[in-house]
Formats: sequence, structure tokens, C-alpha cells
Amino acid sequence: MHELSLVQGLLGQLESLAGQHGASRILKVRVSIGEESCIVEDSFRFGFDAIKTESSLTERAELQIQKVPGSDLMLMQVEME
Amino acid sequence: MCKSCGCHISPDTDKSTTRASKHDNSKIVDVHKSLLEANRRQAEKNRHHIEAMGAVAINMISSPGSGKTTLLEATIDRLGDRLRIGVIEGDIETERDAERIRKKGVPVVQLTTGGACHLDAPLVHKGLHELEALAHEKSGPFFDLIFIENVGNLVCPATFDLGEHRRIVLLSVPEGSDKPAKYPAVFSTADLFLITKTDLIKYFDFSVKEAVSEAKRIKPSLESMEISSKTGDGLDEWCEYLESLCN
Ligand SMILES: Nc1nc2c(ncn2[C@@H]2O[C@H](COP(=O)(O)OP(=O)(O)O)[C@@H](O)[C@H]2O)c(=O)[nH]1
Ligand SMILES: [Mg+2]
Ligand SMILES: [Zn+2]
Repeated sequence: MHELSLVQGLLGQLESLAGQHGASRILKVRVSIGEESCIVEDSFRFGFDAIKTESSLTERAELQIQKVPGSDLMLMQVEME
Repeated sequence: MCKSCGCHISPDTDKSTTRASKHDNSKIVDVHKSLLEANRRQAEKNRHHIEAMGAVAINMISSPGSGKTTLLEATIDRLGDRLRIGVIEGDIETERDAERIRKKGVPVVQLTTGGACHLDAPLVHKGLHELEALAHEKSGPFFDLIFIENVGNLVCPATFDLGEHRRIVLLSVPEGSDKPAKYPAVFSTADLFLITKTDLIKYFDFSVKEAVSEAKRIKPSLESMEISSKTGDGLDEWCEYLESLCN
């Protein structure tokens, strides 16, 4: 459940990044999820795929998730055009 | 977010680097930014805010029904005339827990998350302001102890610092003594482990020894207490613990 609110935070970040870089489409989003973060990878992906279609900026974005040690959730890299 | 307490969320500094990708008109931006960072920053501000109110804050985490609200009621009965207590209640829906606490005569704010399974720092920040406003009408915006009852959930609240000074996890006897082993994250971040509803121990095969040793395996420094809000067993020790935090 809380994955959805984290995904909303991510989409907000993507919007402002796209604004900063004058991009109109997000192609790829790389995120790292800490093993101890209590964030479920599948739920996060499910949430992302559900919400990304609400905006033409993100509707085709591909999410790549990397599991890492620790408890953080990080936005690592974004490919945009 | 608000001007009155200076707890304003500072703008992000953009450390991202950019390079052209192999595709013609797309570019790759390295961001390396925590998506939990905004919550952490707000939590830090909440902590300062709470200290400016003169208080120590306690984040209470457990499954639904482990006895958080009942323990708060019993605690207010015992300490309410010695300590200035305020309560922030977190639930997905309803004012019910706040109504129970309000009957005890202490300032209480109900936060409803509208679906989210945990409180986060921005929501608690809002709660702190409401609590301050409530107390202001009475005795001034100062407290000794602020309890934050999190949404009933033994998993997700572990990820979100609210700005508390102590995090307390409750496990009631009917839930079973295997729960620390099954939900390690919340135990690994807790400062105190309360085994609640110990009056029921004769009806369940709950092993205090197992619960405590599993919790200690996850976090060796984790202290535990056994309490029953119903009979009052263990509440002296619990109240002494709380009073020692306020000194
Ligand atoms: N037997 C017993 N029941 C308790 C005790 N503490 C709470 N309860 C009961 O457990 C139920 C849930 O308690 P509540 O405080 O609402 O749990 P919360 O969801 O964690 O806030 C209620 O029916 C309480 O009366 C206790 O120490 N012993
Ligand atoms: Mg409750
Ligand atoms: Zn959750």
C-alpha cells in the first residue's frame, strides 16, 4: 500500500526533472530498493505501471529496479527525451 | 510548509549530471537521490519542533488491536496529572481513537491517512500544529510527552521516521511469540519492545522467552517489558520509563 505513495513521490520527481531538462518523455527510470526498506519490489512496479499512464510524460516509461543492501529507496538514473 | 515554526521544507539542490545517450535525442540523467529523503528531512524538523514544545515524542507501532489506545488510556490515568500529555492518533479512517483519548481530557489530534498504511513526517507535522493550537486554548503550547499512535501495521511504519525520540513496538499475547522473527524490520528500528495483554497468557501458548530472545537476536540492545493494561501489571515500570524520558 505505501508503495503507491512512494511511486507518487517518484512521479513528482520525474516531472520536475523533465522540466529542468526540457524533456517531454521519460524513457527509462532506474531505481534502487534497499533489502531492509520494507518496500516490496512487485508492489512498487505494480504501482508505477498503474500510475505512469496518467501522464503522457511517463506513459511509456520503463522501470528498472535494482535491489541493494540497506534501507533506502533511491532514484538512480533517468533516461528522457 | 508553514511559517510559524520555521519548519519549511528546503528546496532540493540538484546534483544530477547529464550526458547524451546512444539514442539520438535522448539523454541520461544521473540523479542518485533518495526518495525517502524528503520524509527524513521533515522528520528532523519535527524533532526540533517537538523539542521547542518542550516535549519528548513516542512513536507507537503495532498490528491493529495490540492495545495501543488502551495503553494510552491507562497511561493518561496514571500520569495525566503529573505530565502534560498530548496525543496524535493515526488511522486510515475515523475519529474513534481520538474520541477515546479526548474523554480522558488531554489534547488529541486525529490524523486520517485516507488509505495509507502508515503515518509519514509531513502528516505528523500537520498534527503537531493542530496539537499546539488545541493546547494553546488551554495551558499554552507546551507538553512533556507526545504520543503518536501509528496506523495499525507491523511492517510499513518501520520505514518512516516521524521525528520521534523513541520508537516503541507492541506485540500482544494473542498474536503469537513468533512475530519478532517474522517482522524483523520494525523490531530492528525500535527502542523498546512491549509485550501487551499479558493477562491472557494462560489462554495462549505464547512464549515470552521466545519473543524476547528473537527480538534480541534482531537487535541485541532492545529492552522489553511485559504489561497488561487490563490488570495494570507492568504499568509501574512503563510509567517510570516514560517519566525518566521527560527528565
Ligand atoms: N485482555 C486484554 N485486552 C486488552 C488489553 N489491552 C487492550 N485490550 C483489548 O484489545 C482490543 C484492542 O485494543 P486497542 O487499544 O483498541 O488496540 P489498538 O488497535 O492497538 O489501539 C480492545 O478490545 C481492548 O479492550 C489488555 O491488556 N488485556
Ligand atoms: Mg488504536
Ligand atoms: Zn504499506
